[in-house]
Amino acid sequence: MAEMVEFPGPGRGGPTRDVLEVWAGTRRRSGLAPFVDGLRLLVRDPFALVGLVIIAVFFLVAALSGFLAPYDPYEALPTPEGELARLETPSGDHWLGTTAFGNDVLSQLLVGTRVAFIVGISAAIVVGIISTLLGLLSGYYGRYVDDVIMRATDVALSIPTLPIAIVAVAILGASLRNIILVVVLLFWRNGARIVRSVVLTEKEKVYVQAARAAGASHLYIMRVHILPNVIPVAFLWMTMSVAFAILAEASLSFIGLGDPNAMSWGQMLNLAFTEGSIRTAWWWVLPPSLCLVFLISSIYVVGRAWEEKTNPRLRRR
Amino acid sequence: MRAYIVRRLMQAVLVVFVVITLMFFLFRLMPADPTTMLVESGLPEQARQDLLERWGLTGSLADQYWSYLTNLATGDFGTSFFYQEPAWNVLAPLILNTLWIAVPGMLLGALIGCGLGVVVGWARRGGPVERAGIFLATFVRGVPSFVLGIFILMVFSTWLGWFPGFGIGELGDGFTRYFTWSFLAHLILPVMTLAIFFLPENLLLMRTGVVENRGEDYLELVRAKGVKESRVAWHAARNSLLPVITWLFPALAETVAGIVIIEVVFSWPGIGRELVLAVNRQDYPIAQTAFFLLAVMIVLANLAADLVYAKLDPRVSYE
Repeated sequence: MAEMVEFPGPGRGGPTRDVLEVWAGTRRRSGLAPFVDGLRLLVRDPFALVGLVIIAVFFLVAALSGFLAPYDPYEALPTPEGELARLETPSGDHWLGTTAFGNDVLSQLLVGTRVAFIVGISAAIVVGIISTLLGLLSGYYGRYVDDVIMRATDVALSIPTLPIAIVAVAILGASLRNIILVVVLLFWRNGARIVRSVVLTEKEKVYVQAARAAGASHLYIMRVHILPNVIPVAFLWMTMSVAFAILAEASLSFIGLGDPNAMSWGQMLNLAFTEGSIRTAWWWVLPPSLCLVFLISSIYVVGRAWEEKTNPRLRRR
Repeated sequence: MRAYIVRRLMQAVLVVFVVITLMFFLFRLMPADPTTMLVESGLPEQARQDLLERWGLTGSLADQYWSYLTNLATGDFGTSFFYQEPAWNVLAPLILNTLWIAVPGMLLGALIGCGLGVVVGWARRGGPVERAGIFLATFVRGVPSFVLGIFILMVFSTWLGWFPGFGIGELGDGFTRYFTWSFLAHLILPVMTLAIFFLPENLLLMRTGVVENRGEDYLELVRAKGVKESRVAWHAARNSLLPVITWLFPALAETVAGIVIIEVVFSWPGIGRELVLAVNRQDYPIAQTAFFLLAVMIVLANLAADLVYAKLDPRVSYE
């Protein structure tokens, strides 16, 4: 298609930027290409590499948690003397000690890893789909579609996140499903705006106009020309959403609105806090705290590196 | 400019209205009947009806919505099931308590964060200051507010024993209500937590802005005048403030989340903690009102951020 369109150059004979853009736009790349490029760049950044390794280790632990956990996380364990193993310091039997209820901290920690990933990944996927769709529609079609979607995000952005999450989960019932639902309701809005801004700059580019002039349909342009440019940004937002979702679940659980059937890191902290063990039982408090910090920070570090690599404005200078 | 302000005001009013409506329907979705929790089972039917009527829980949904709106408009937020007092009377004294943490905490976080952001942004690209700054900021940003609060509580209250970490301390009377040593001592740790919680995002945004401004020609001009390098950085910093202020807009909503949690960790009697308590007690009027107050605080803060933004950046069109 591109050969049919001729662009007058500025007089030096070489291709102009516009022509290059048309070429770039018509060059077919696989949908995975941005990820492969991005990953290659990430691995070269030492911080991002460390972050990726930490995330991978957590993921592995989550996948194998049922296997690795030495005890049932809810079981009230007895000491050899037959009493409740209450608030025991770390030992050979209990590597991370026990809680005030005689539960094994390590087992709870391992199960909590799984809960974190379940919440994080499922919420991020839904958030990614919704924000990409809304952002595409809003940015590409503009006018009243854009108006409606953007006013909705404006209003949604002004609503305090955690308070509404507290109220919603309290009303709908404390379960992982409802927590994921609330996270999705909270984070589609920022994602949609970010995707929209990319679409806005992308659709003004000459190659899109050329494709349009050559008779490509809206759907085709969105799919072939705009979506590949949106994917790195949408993916960044999804990565961040994993962290936000884990954080939101942890916060709600810490307040006491966690799923009673899924022991998460936030819930461990909630129990330690309500039992008044925060000041004494460091072996109960530190492990879930540090896991949260390391997992969320790693995701942020990777996301940040990804942003630096995909945003040339930051890369060049 | 005036049209812009009016438009922003109207948007703020719209948001408050949406929040109110959302609240109404959310709270009506609650599966549990609030009377079962509050009214002893042995109560005769007539007395139960009276109570329902008093709390506006009878009639059709439309009727309830209408009376809810008119009540709100007249400043009647209902009566707390738990305290048996008007919700407003319970929560009004707590507004100041929350602001006492929110305002100093966010100001400190923004000031220190932006300052450090300039330092990191002005440092050599790829040098130790830049790498350490970015790494630390990104790391701290990943620390959940309650984990941060627990750490600070452990270190400064339990191990070092420097400051108290529970409650609000002893308040004075009347004018000197908030001017007691006990209150100030209790204030330090929550404010510190909020400041640290709020700081990294400011730092990172400021740094990005400074980095993007570094190569600009106007800085060469400033440099050519022969001023000190710190003065040049100051020029870049001023022009980098805009993205930080734009970011404040959505960030305020997030920061309120931090404040709620911090109040819980430090048992600080503020709106956020009361919201959590009320939700656990199924005390609708208090939960509703607390949520409403938090939303209004955010709307007002957003409005202020918008106006400051328009004032600072002449490029903003007031369309």
